[in-house]
Amino acid sequence: MNSVIEVTDLVKTYKNVDAVKGINFDVKEGEIFGFLGPNGAGKSTTINMICTMLPPTSGHITINGYDVAKQKDDVRGSIGIIFQENTLDEKLTANENLMLHCRFYNVPKDKRHERIQEVLHIVDLIDEQNQRVEEFSGGMKRRLEIARGLLHYPKVLFLDEPTVGLDPNTRAHLWKYILKLKEQEGITMFLTTHYLDEAEVSDRIAIMDQGEIIAIDSPTVLKDELGGDLIELSTEDNDQAIQEIEDKVTGADVTVNGDTIHLKVHSSDAFISNFIKTLDIPITTLNIRKPTLNDVFLAYTGRHIQTNDE
Amino acid sequence: MEGIIAIWQRDLIKFLRDKARLFGSFTMPILFLLIFGGGLSGTMETMMTQNLDVGGDFNYVQFVFPGIVSMTLLMTSVFSAMSVIEDKDFGYMKEILVSPISRVSIAIGKMAGAATVSTIQGVMLFALIPLLGLNYDLMSLIKVIPFMFLLGAALSGIGLLFASFINSTQGFQLIVNIIVLPMVFMSGALFPISGMPGWLDVIVKLNPVTYGVDVMKKIMIDVDQLSITVRETMGLNLTVFGRQVTVFEEILFILAFTVLVIAIATLSFKRANA
Repeated sequence: MNSVIEVTDLVKTYKNVDAVKGINFDVKEGEIFGFLGPNGAGKSTTINMICTMLPPTSGHITINGYDVAKQKDDVRGSIGIIFQENTLDEKLTANENLMLHCRFYNVPKDKRHERIQEVLHIVDLIDEQNQRVEEFSGGMKRRLEIARGLLHYPKVLFLDEPTVGLDPNTRAHLWKYILKLKEQEGITMFLTTHYLDEAEVSDRIAIMDQGEIIAIDSPTVLKDELGGDLIELSTEDNDQAIQEIEDKVTGADVTVNGDTIHLKVHSSDAFISNFIKTLDIPITTLNIRKPTLNDVFLAYTGRHIQTNDE
Repeated sequence: MEGIIAIWQRDLIKFLRDKARLFGSFTMPILFLLIFGGGLSGTMETMMTQNLDVGGDFNYVQFVFPGIVSMTLLMTSVFSAMSVIEDKDFGYMKEILVSPISRVSIAIGKMAGAATVSTIQGVMLFALIPLLGLNYDLMSLIKVIPFMFLLGAALSGIGLLFASFINSTQGFQLIVNIIVLPMVFMSGALFPISGMPGWLDVIVKLNPVTYGVDVMKKIMIDVDQLSITVRETMGLNLTVFGRQVTVFEEILFILAFTVLVIAIATLSFKRANA
């Protein structure tokens, strides 16, 4: 598959902070590429550099074959961006917002009306197109922004926290639209999100931390690499329980996270019955599960991803 | 070109939809017209025609009206540039900046928007002419409109410059208020600027509004018909370095000023990382 985005040795240094420390990755045509990382990891800096909004200190980026440093306008025409915050003009109608976008991106005059109706159809806003955006709900605004991002048929659509601040129902709806887009248009998507369950739709995920990309692979591989199952338990006395586990139990990776003890084991079926018998301290809660992206994230960064909007 | 028109049209549509802004911006010029044109006109006339034998030829309101139109142009065009800050605040500037539209088009579009809005407001003031008992030649009123647009563009550039480094609308309003009123008073809009003390004279001659007001007056008031003393009284013999400037030179100066601020505004949009 061809790469739509190629990032080579990308570095961004602010006065005395290395925000991005020489990262390399590529995004293949037609894939959903998830870009994850804790706050301050350098994600936004990286995206801003890819989107021509911030000049890199050094390194090289190409999008759709265009050099981001030298062919800014071609790059800008090749990408669509759904920003984290609302960037619609609320005093204008949905249709007017879309028409302005067509003009900014030089969509041919005779195609504008047709394309606007087409994208409005994809996000189900045909009937609301002549209403002012200020009358829209949060979910409708988001859908309109996605529609707008598609108007100029971008090669890559950047979705920066597309569902932040929306209720779960609206989030689910929005994902339905996004996935429909991928199916129908085969559009490449570059996604950042704090909701790791949403990142599961990605074909590949890159995890960034402290200015570096520390893992990059499909969600399945990343989870499998963690190996085995996860057992989470809490007991009446965790300190003593950990002591006991260290003394008597083999074949488990032990970590403590707040009030719960995490055990990573190769196979929970073979492990669990013996384990429970071994432990003298009464167990208060017990949970056995397969690793999630959150565990992957935790394993690589040592932190839970923050789910607040800050 | 398409991008310039799009940005211009957007600001215009938003202006026409904002009724409060449309009518609110009239309060200041009307207040000034009431104070200077009504309340102070007798005093001003006496003061200005002291020791001069102009008889009944001098009409202060006729003198001050083009000045107040210029003042309206200044205020509206500078404040219209606030749309740049609002666009930053509401995120729309990002939508503009990530698009392939050239940065100079953004600057020109914003400037054209502000110039159009201020010209509309200025022309609306013409409706007061009969109420003030004034008498301007219709042709000269039509001739002055393109110049009003140019002046609006030049002055909106001042607003764009401020908007490029101020990030809050409150801060912008504060700074602009501090800048705008002295620019009005130091321009000959409300009283003649001949016979100013030296240091003030320098400010007056550096102030682009001075030349705008002078051209407005020269176009609107039929200067050739006036006696030399009346022209002197109205301060219509503006001199720079002891030489009387022509309307053509003044327009050239304002044009050059406009090009300069477009260049600076373009640079600021190039640097912008919204």
